[in-house]
Amino acid sequence: MGIRSDVGRIERQYLLDMLEVEGARILEIGCGEGRLTWHFAGLARSVVAFDVTPDTLQDALRQRPEQIADKVSFLEASGVHLPFKSGSFDQALFTLSF
Amino acid sequence: MVHALEETHRVLRAGGGLIDLRPASSNRTVELELAAARLHIGEIDSSATFADHRAADAALDRFVRGGLLCVEHAEEFQLTTDLDTVEDLRAFAATLRRSILGEELFQRIESLIADEGEDYIIHTRREMTIKRYRRTNGER
Repeated sequence: MGIRSDVGRIERQYLLDMLEVEGARILEIGCGEGRLTWHFAGLARSVVAFDVTPDTLQDALRQRPEQIADKVSFLEASGVHLPFKSGSFDQALFTLSF
Repeated sequence: MVHALEETHRVLRAGGGLIDLRPASSNRTVELELAAARLHIGEIDSSATFADHRAADAALDRFVRGGLLCVEHAEEFQLTTDLDTVEDLRAFAATLRRSILGEELFQRIESLIADEGEDYIIHTRREMTIKRYRRTNGER
């Protein structure tokens, strides 16, 4: 039994091609359970990932790989008010699924 | 996304990149792969999300027209999810926030599996778009 998303890793490849991830401070909006976060976080300087759904953030925390735990922080937020100074991030990523 | 865009623009440095990765305004298709054939089973109804997609597109267009963002690159691709059993499809459906799989779709798969045998894979496909924007020096 199993569920295999992004068979062929096409989505991941497009994301890595377009996101200027190396050494960057990244803001991810709508991270869900971190399905994509883990694929770029290792190359980033830091990642702040947020979502409006507390359950999915709990899943993300449970699934967070240990080796990148210090780089990735999660936030429950709607995105209307973000507790960061202007210009705090090099890259922003909307991964909303509605 | 519409409300988050202004705040995201604020916390993004000038010259920084913004990636918008989203499903297109279309339904996922569901196919059943059997040993002898690959059959189109139906669609997962995501129409409840289409208005949000249009609103997000309109918000991004406003930022581009206002000189706050520029579009650098855009691609379309298909996101495929494979499922080994009907139970996996039910579990997958439960993760979809605002999309609906009709019970008749499950029944059709179960009927075909019963007729054709045990070996099968369920494929779902969704059209996706990915766009890269660049934050200009403009301020709101």
